Amino acid sequence: METPHSTTHAPQGFWTKYLFSTDHKTIGIQYMITGLFMAAVGGFLAYVFRYNLAFPGESIPLFGQLDAMHYNAFVTNHGMIMVLFVGMPFLVSGLGNLLIPLMIGTDDMAFPTLNMMSFWIFLVSCLVMVAAFFVPGGAFGGGWTLYPPLSASGYVNRNPAFWSTFFSATPMFILGVALEFVSMLMGGINFLVTTINKRAEGMTPFKIPLIVWFLNIATLDFMVSVGPLVAGAVMLLLDNVVGTGFYDPARGGDPVLFQHLFWFFGHPEVYVLLLPALGVMGEIIPVFSRKPLFAYRTIIYLSLIAAVLSVVVWAHHQFIAGIDPRMATFFSIGTIIISIPFAGVFLSFMATLWGGSIRFTMPMIWALGFIGLFLIGGLTGLYLGSSTFDIYAHDTYFVVAHFHYTMFPVVFFGFFSAVYFWFPKFTGKHLNHTLGMIHFWLTFIPFNVTFFVLFFNGLAGQHRRVNEYSSFSNIMKEPYITFEKISTIGAIVLMVSQFIFLYNLFISLRKGRKAEKNPWDSNTLEWQADSPPVHGNFNPYPVVYHGPYEYSHPSSEQDFVPQDNPIVLKTN
Amino acid sequence: MNTAILPAQRKLIPDAVLGMLFLVSAEIMFFSGLISAYIINRSGVVDWPPLNQPRLPILMTGINTFVLALSGVFMALAVKKSAGAPRSAENWLKASALLGLTFLLVQGTEWSNMLAAGMHTNSSVFGAFFYTIIGAHGVHVVAGLLMLIYALIKNRMEPVGQNPNRLVAISVYWYFVVAVWPVLYVLVYFN
Ligand code: HEM
Repeated sequence: METPHSTTHAPQGFWTKYLFSTDHKTIGIQYMITGLFMAAVGGFLAYVFRYNLAFPGESIPLFGQLDAMHYNAFVTNHGMIMVLFVGMPFLVSGLGNLLIPLMIGTDDMAFPTLNMMSFWIFLVSCLVMVAAFFVPGGAFGGGWTLYPPLSASGYVNRNPAFWSTFFSATPMFILGVALEFVSMLMGGINFLVTTINKRAEGMTPFKIPLIVWFLNIATLDFMVSVGPLVAGAVMLLLDNVVGTGFYDPARGGDPVLFQHLFWFFGHPEVYVLLLPALGVMGEIIPVFSRKPLFAYRTIIYLSLIAAVLSVVVWAHHQFIAGIDPRMATFFSIGTIIISIPFAGVFLSFMATLWGGSIRFTMPMIWALGFIGLFLIGGLTGLYLGSSTFDIYAHDTYFVVAHFHYTMFPVVFFGFFSAVYFWFPKFTGKHLNHTLGMIHFWLTFIPFNVTFFVLFFNGLAGQHRRVNEYSSFSNIMKEPYITFEKISTIGAIVLMVSQFIFLYNLFISLRKGRKAEKNPWDSNTLEWQADSPPVHGNFNPYPVVYHGPYEYSHPSSEQDFVPQDNPIVLKTN
Repeated sequence: MNTAILPAQRKLIPDAVLGMLFLVSAEIMFFSGLISAYIINRSGVVDWPPLNQPRLPILMTGINTFVLALSGVFMALAVKKSAGAPRSAENWLKASALLGLTFLLVQGTEWSNMLAAGMHTNSSVFGAFFYTIIGAHGVHVVAGLLMLIYALIKNRMEPVGQNPNRLVAISVYWYFVVAVWPVLYVLVYFN
């Protein structure tokens, strides 16, 4: 037993309150704002190279000419930034910090100072990534997967002097990513310890909301898989700066080794992003269907199974890298099996919707949009999971379209659902509904316009990571040329319409309708705290009596039963 | 102003120790990555270690392995004593740190011998793996030593009895540093 302690006093001055804060809510918001900035960077890069693909050789508005070297660097950094510097702060660090302490009914994280440090390290890592564009020779351009020998040979600007070697493309890239990992690791330890040790009285494991479960499973998955990649990255860094030959076949090294180490992390990383997004849906769908989440326990078990499986399917990214065909069969089967747990989670969401009294609020619309899009992403993934098809489609725009149909909904629809849902809680203001709806349709439609056509270009054989394909006769004909243009116009509309969202945030913060404690009639603990929650979150601290999804329970008059409501529910 | 009192929480494992355990598990995966890379690479080579490279000093390092192990034992004693006899706990802690430092110095001497004998990070993949794996462990020893020194300073200011978890958490890390070493020793030195 630890001795009880009173909540720390709320910090006063501007610096301690908004910048060097140890309050989990402030840190969560800092993560999200940083993520938004990085999304602007990643999005701008996408705009530039998308424009170049549709109108090759033309000068790009707001940028200028794009040469092949820069094309590669932009694609590479776009990928890494969107995954690690947008997805992670939005879904894992951001949501985890905002929600975990509130949802389990406690005052803050287990290690608040560590938490603050993890944010500042993350900020530095973002700066390193952006600064890499301005070192001599420009940013790293060997693909976000960093495959050697390209990444190990120092083909991008390697100067003989040690320090300039270090401040060149590849080492900067590795450094930025490494700092991000350190920050995530610190944050992850905090999440796990907080969830295990700091739960409110009565918050037994199966009364924990789905999203907290999923955030923790994601964190565990991250912590298990990141070690080998760090090992691989250390070796890559040494290849670059001190001239070892780990990945250089001419000197006895093995370039495929890095691919194994990378995908051992890379594939679980997909689930690290997916799980929190699914968790968001798991909170939103029951609230706006007024029904308990279907098969709550089962989907927790399923996702635990998926987390275990996710570390043994990595080599499906390497079907054509020359791995043993027997091994390819093993990984094919593993990959197809791993879709079963996630299919289970989706079925549960469907079953929750089925027969519910659905309320089409903004968060619900985004959640439904997520389900629709992710379905397309997931189904095309099943095709790619079989190595026979993948050998044909590998490295084409079919793959690009596939993973954008999974990643974009996860990262952005997950983020937007969460923002539209929890904004009233953390700011005390409602977002404007009309603007939210316009934002949704101007994201949903242009997204599909951008990426659906790319499936066809991919099947026609258009290769990814190629800036200029005038000599490929299979692509340089109709309708593929028009498809390129359609895709680019879609992307531009998609990006411009995000300003509606920013405007909505801005205007609602200033003039929005005041939010009450529990605007959506939800059960989970964060809705029982003030909007916005005070420093220390609760007064008094809650005691938990019910599971998180007791909606429309027959023995309760209200159609929802907050987790800390002591009434007795009759089960029959 | 929020004046609510956070109720006491029942904790199976204290925060600091639990956090350290998670860190250590991530570290174990890091070393697993290095080791598997090493094993995969070694299995593809006929002459291992390469004929033109010097042999590794098995005996000296073997003795050094015992030094590190003993340091781990002293750490355990320090933790055991910390509740009742803070002074002797401090002495065990110092002894443990001293042995850790000895280990580091001996390894350092070995490195300079190997360098003099013509084994470099870029003379062969064998050399690269040797310096990377052993160096990675060395960095962890340094980190562990810094933690030990931190514990010593902190315990001066507030006796261990007041915050036993800090020392336990640090000991968890130190046990990890001690325990991976024999694995690395056997894998890298005997081949
Ligand atoms: C704003 C909308 C986006 C557009 C228009 C876009 C467009 C593209 C295109 C056309 C490519 C392929 C470029 C090539 O191979 O030559 C690409 C690559 C990639 N994108 Fe996106 N993308 C967007 C958002 C995202 C998001 C949200 C993520 C992930 C969270 C993401 C992750 C990636 C990754 C990992 C790559 C592969 C990079 C590489 O090949 O090294 N993108 N993107």
